[in-house]
Parts: sequence; structure tokens; C-alpha cells
Amino acid sequence: MDLLSTDADAGDDALRLISLLALATLAFADGGKVQFQRKAGAFNITLFSTPTPVRAGRADFSVMVQKSGTETPVLDADVRLHLIKREANSIAEVSAPARHEQATNKLLYAAPVDLNTTGKWRVEISVQNASESALVTGEIEVLPPEPPLLAHWPYFAVLPVLAILFAVNQVLKRRRAVNRR
Amino acid sequence: MESAASAALQSWGLSGQVIALLLLSALIYWRGWLRGERNGARLMAFLSSLMVLFLATESPLDAFDSLFLSAHMTQHLLLLMVAPPLLLFSHPLLPMLRGLPRAFVKEGLGPFLSWKSLQQFFAWLTAPVPAWVLFALSTVLWHLPKFYELALSSPAWHGVQHASFFWSGVLFWWPVIQPGPGKRRWPKWVAIPYLLFADIFNTALSAVFVFSGNLLYPSYAAVRASHLSALEDQSLAGLIMWVPGSIVYLVPAFVLVVGLFTTPQMRQTAPPKRVRSSKPKNSLWRSAPLFRRLAQSAMLLVAVVVVWDGFGGQQVAALNLAGVLPWIHWRALSMLALLVVGNLFCLSCPFMFVRDAGRRFFAPKLRWPSALRNKWLAAGLIVLYLWAYEAFSLWDSPWMTAWIISGYFVAALLVDSVFRGASFCKYVCPIGQYHFVASLVSPREIAVKDRAMCRSCRTYDCIRGNETARGCELYLFQPKKAGNLDCTFCLDCVKACPHNNVGLLTVTPAKTLLSDTYRSGIGRLSKRGDMVALVLLLVFGAFVNAAGMVDPVMMWEHGWRVGAFVLAGAVVLPLATVWLCAAIGGSVERARRLAFALVPLGVGMWAAHLLFHALGAILWLQILLLDAGLLLTLYTAWRLSQGARLKVFVPWASVACLLFAAGVWIFFQPMQMRGMMR
Repeated sequence: MDLLSTDADAGDDALRLISLLALATLAFADGGKVQFQRKAGAFNITLFSTPTPVRAGRADFSVMVQKSGTETPVLDADVRLHLIKREANSIAEVSAPARHEQATNKLLYAAPVDLNTTGKWRVEISVQNASESALVTGEIEVLPPEPPLLAHWPYFAVLPVLAILFAVNQVLKRRRAVNRR
Repeated sequence: MESAASAALQSWGLSGQVIALLLLSALIYWRGWLRGERNGARLMAFLSSLMVLFLATESPLDAFDSLFLSAHMTQHLLLLMVAPPLLLFSHPLLPMLRGLPRAFVKEGLGPFLSWKSLQQFFAWLTAPVPAWVLFALSTVLWHLPKFYELALSSPAWHGVQHASFFWSGVLFWWPVIQPGPGKRRWPKWVAIPYLLFADIFNTALSAVFVFSGNLLYPSYAAVRASHLSALEDQSLAGLIMWVPGSIVYLVPAFVLVVGLFTTPQMRQTAPPKRVRSSKPKNSLWRSAPLFRRLAQSAMLLVAVVVVWDGFGGQQVAALNLAGVLPWIHWRALSMLALLVVGNLFCLSCPFMFVRDAGRRFFAPKLRWPSALRNKWLAAGLIVLYLWAYEAFSLWDSPWMTAWIISGYFVAALLVDSVFRGASFCKYVCPIGQYHFVASLVSPREIAVKDRAMCRSCRTYDCIRGNETARGCELYLFQPKKAGNLDCTFCLDCVKACPHNNVGLLTVTPAKTLLSDTYRSGIGRLSKRGDMVALVLLLVFGAFVNAAGMVDPVMMWEHGWRVGAFVLAGAVVLPLATVWLCAAIGGSVERARRLAFALVPLGVGMWAAHLLFHALGAILWLQILLLDAGLLLTLYTAWRLSQGARLKVFVPWASVACLLFAAGVWIFFQPMQMRGMMR
């Protein structure tokens, strides 16, 4: 094993790796939990959400539009999400077009939405294609956001795990040194 | 329906973590493969295994696994029955160990690999009975409705499910393939009943899916995206498990039976040809000065365009090249270069191109004043930069950026027209100092390949130069050089060495921080107060610079407070740290050495900050960069504090942990995407 070598061009490979990583950060919605399913006109409309449960902050909503009866996915519709939360003195509203490009599963229409308050939100989904249109409504519960430390715990857990492994490594080395003597 | 099918086939995921892991594994195996017996079939098996893992986790199978049990089942079969045997066919242990840095294998993994209890546990785990039972348990448990539904509802548990399928698959196939190194522990015939029992078990489980009249997993009834009912989909999943699953168990069993009846003469094959890895060739790097000139020319062109747009273009940072290129892209790219190669910025420095052109007309005669042969001037300029960056919002002013770049050209030209060597790079340039310090954790270094050859050298062309190339302008004598400090990667020494004995070599990142040997052109690090100040300034400066773009600091920072903040964060705090640690540890010299241990953490912070501007907020990547910096810092401090761990290590480890916590706090704040239209 020759550590000092120039033949393996690790630099180039790592650069390629990082470019791919950068590309991969374009996070796509990927279905998630079924929030509700409604029939309206010619359509059967299902709303999925991630994360589970939905928390205040960025959430991904995906909509599946199917023809009622045949369950054939409708792929040429114009889908919009409208989320409303009414409080005593104020109304919070978010609108977003849902698109295939934003979904991993290309049968779905996805939209990333920022929800800034917790509680019950009313969701309106409007679907329109060349011949038909439909509007369905439902409700979702939005919980308070997870504390960031908790949301990213695996990346912090790396530290104590490696520290413990290092401690074991040191103990084993010491034991080996004693045995050699 | 055709469009739905085509949409389904386009449903590929791109998970950064998965792609990074697969590429990293491929890179390590490939490096190890190059250094051992280059068995093509094993390399293909390993790459195929990674490809199957990619298909299982990123292909449309993954996108549809929550809609169709049949898609999910296919995914599980790939993870359990296809990827593991391919992985084991590649005999991955030795190539993976050879592909990792030698020091890490010897010092980090070595004690574990030679730990008797661990060896015995692994031998037990990969024996036929435990491996079979664990595989069966994992398969049955995850197919119980309660656990399956849990995996469907939680991405984290879904990940655990997939990981346990893959690793129990690896354990299951181990006694069948018995990958090296080492002799076979069981005769081959053992695998025949082993596989047959597995097939019987698989058939029984499949039958439950095919013939059960009840829907086992209600989640699949919630949405139907095809003509298949959920129950029909369940039967299809059972058939997939049954037929291809049986083939995967029965074909190897059949091959083994045939093998038992084949005579040894018939099995004899030529022994694998051992190909010795060729010695590193240096011819490419000897022509590197030409590459350097090309890179410098390109950077000069970019600098001219940036200055032109900065002076004459629209004075909106996000719409001006002087706002976008230097502050966002160049800073991030040069940091990436530092992390994966080395000091590529200094290699392609456009200021040196102009300086070299100027030297054709003004041959410098004087030596740099001895009172200034240290890093204090450069450190002062870095403090000035950190303050001006906040006080004048440099990133937001294309006009001022253009002035700074122009000033840089003039300063480099003036200094190096009067003083010999690369005085500007070594004693003045703040950008250069930043790159010198950060390149201490780079994986590449310009270094001597064979020290014995240097001992017989009497011409010292690497520092004196010759008719083909000039010697090192920063007075670094290769045989006595250690680490990347003060090295501009100019490659003059590579070209000048008549023995072809200097090259760009792979080294263990930050290893150079562990020794305090005499370094050519620098001396001992523990004797260089100016170097300690520079290092601490750049480490603490990383946190000050990043803190300047988060709301709580921005709201507070006005007028005189900007200077106070920079002075307190980048100057007073490091001074107080060294003083306190020296007081507790009882040695100023030791505190100076330990200060260098903070370099990896500082580089991690710069990287996390600068990549944020280039790639956007990827919090997990930022935390991982800080993690890596902290771990390397703690390890370095631990090694440097041998003999007085409690008094010396604990204070520095506490400082590192506090800085890490500050970094995490900064990245958890809403951040200003400076100079970008977002």
C-alpha cells in the first residue's frame, strides 16, 4: 500500500463527487403520507405530504390526479395549492403551483410550501385540464417545528460515536503494547 | 397510459447522501484494486453491486414503493439477493483496506482488525447457522404488518429496513461465497442445504402473499395508481418474491452441485496474474509550469473582466461579475480545491502573471527587510480585510471590489519589482496566507518522493534553480520542507529537480500538524509567534466572518460596533484563548503548538460558510464539515498533548467544542445570502 502516489487521481474523482452532490441538493418531493383523498367531477384527487407529521417551516405537498372510475393518472393538468389558516385577527395564506418537475414520482404534482404558523390549515386544490376542472378542500394539522438540533441529530451523533470508537482504539493499542512487553 | 408509463420511468431520485456514499465506496475500492491484484471480474462485481444499490434506492422502484407493494418487493429483492452476493464476489475487504489511507488503516482500523474478541464475534456471525437465522429473522420481522407499516410511514425506519435487508443479505451470502482473505472455513457442499432451506423459507413466505385473501398492508389500499387492486398487487409481489427469489437460491445451489462432481483437473485455471502497480510517473507534472501559465492567463482574463464590470457595470452585486464571481464562486471553488487537491489558487494566481511580466523590465535587487520577514504584516492586512468586509459591505460593492483587485495587481507588481523572490506572496498577500494555512489539511502536497536520493544531491536545483527552471522563490528547500505552509504550488521545484524526485503527492490531511520538526523557510512552528497569530486569526476569523451574516449579529453591528466585533472576535478572543490555555497548561511553547490543532476546525468553518454561498443552505453538509473539522482538531490536540493530557488537552478541546457550538449556532440562524438574487 503506497500512500505516496500520484496515479490515483483522487482530486478529480472528489470534484466529480461534489458536483453530483450539489446537483442532488435540488430536493424533490416524494409523495409521503396521504393527507386526504377526494372525488370531484371527473377527478379523483389525493394529497400527500412530507415530512410526517407536517411541521411549521418547509413542507412538500404532492398531488395525484386520477380519472374517476379508471384510476388513470392525469398528467396534463394545471394544479394549484392554496393553503389558508384563519385566526381571530389574521389570515395566513400560501399559494403555490404544483408541478411534475418538483416531484420524484413523475405521476405526482409537487410543490414545496413554507408554512409559518402551527394549527389547522385548510387546503384547497384546484385542478384544471383542457376539458374539465375541479376544486377539492381538506384540512391538515401543522405541528410546531422540530428544534434544529433534534431535526439533525444523526449528524451530531457522529461525534460521540466516533469519540467512543477512538477511546476503544486507544484502549486496544495500550493493551497490545502491554502484551508485547 | 403510455405517457403515464414514460412519466413513471422518469421518476428517478437523486439523494446526495446515497450518491456520495456509493461514489466514495467506488473510489476507495478502485484505489485498492489498483494497488493489488487487478482482477477485472472482481472490480466489475463491486461496481455492479453499487449499481444495483443505486437502482434499488434511486430508481422509479423507490419512487413507487409507497404506491405498489410489487415495486417495494422488487426493491427488497435487489437489496437482499442481488447486491450482497455481487459485493462478496468482489472480495471487498483487501481492496477497501488498500484503498484507504495507510495511516488510517494502521492506526485507526488496525487495533480493531486485530482484536481477538471482534474476530471471534465476526467468525460466529458469518457461520452458516447464525447467518441463516439472522437473515430469516430480518425477513420475517420486517414483513410483519406492524413493522412494514412503520417503515412505510417513517422515512427513517424505511432506511433502517433497507439497511437491515442489505446487511442481513451480506451475512447470508457470506458462507456461500466465503470471500477472502483467508482460507475457506466450510466445505462447499455446506452451501447446498443452506440455500435449499433458504428457498423453502422463501417459498413459504411468498405463498402467504400470493394466497392470503386479506390485504396485509392497508396503506397500499389508500391510493391505487393502476388497474391492479391492492390485493392483486400483493399477489404479484408474492410471485416476484417466489419466482426470481427461488432462482437466486437454486441456481447457485445447482452450480455448487455440478462443481462437486467436477474433477479438480477440470477446475484448474491459470493463477491470477499479479500486476505490480507501476511507479508514479512524473512526466505530466514536469510540464506543469506550462499548465500553470495557462491557468494564470485564464484567471487574468477573468480578473480583467471582473474589474471592467466592477467599474463600468451595473452597481448591483447580484447582477455584476465583480459581485458574483470573486465573493461567491471563486471563494467557494478555491475552498473546494483546497479540500480535494491543494492550493490551486496560488498556482493559478493572476497577480503573479503580471508580476512575472513586470520583472522582465525591472529586475529586483533588494532583499525583503529583515524586520518584516514574518507574518505580522499579512496578519494585520487580514484584520483590516475582516473589518472592511463588514464595515463597507465589500461583497455588495462591485466598484470597491474592482478597486481592491486593481490595488492587488499594483501592490504585487510594486513589491516584487523592488524585492527579490516571492516577497509579496510570502510576507504580504493575505489571500496567500489564507491558502497556505488552509492547505495544511489538503490531501496533496508538493514533496520529495525519495529522501535518500536528496541526500546524494549536491546541486540543490529545487531551491537554487537551473537553466530550465527557477528555484523556489519562497525559500523552501524540498528535503527539509514539511506540509504546505508557504507553498504556492508553483511547481518550479518539480521542473527544476534533475532527478525527477519532486511531485504532487498524496498525503494524510493535517498529518503535518502533528510534528514540530524544523521546516525549511519557516523554522519550528512552536517558535513562530507570528505564525500562531496568523493561524488563530484565520480560525477565529472564520467564525467572525460567518457570524456577520446572521440576523442577531447584523442587527447589532452598526458604526463602531463593527470594528469592536471584529477586534473582539478575531484578535482579543484568540489572544485570551492562548493566554488562558498557556496558563492552565503551564507552557507557552506548548500552547503555541496546540494552537495549530485548531486549523482543521477553522477550515471546516470556512468551507461550510463558503459552500453555503455557492450551493445554498445544505445544513447536513455544513454540520458534517464542522464535524470533520472538530474531530480532526480534537485528534491533533490529543496527539500534541501527550504526557500532559488533562492540563493541556482539556482546555484546547473545550475551546474547540465552544467554537463548534458557535458554528452550529451560526448555521441554525436565518442567513443572508449575500450578493445573490434569491
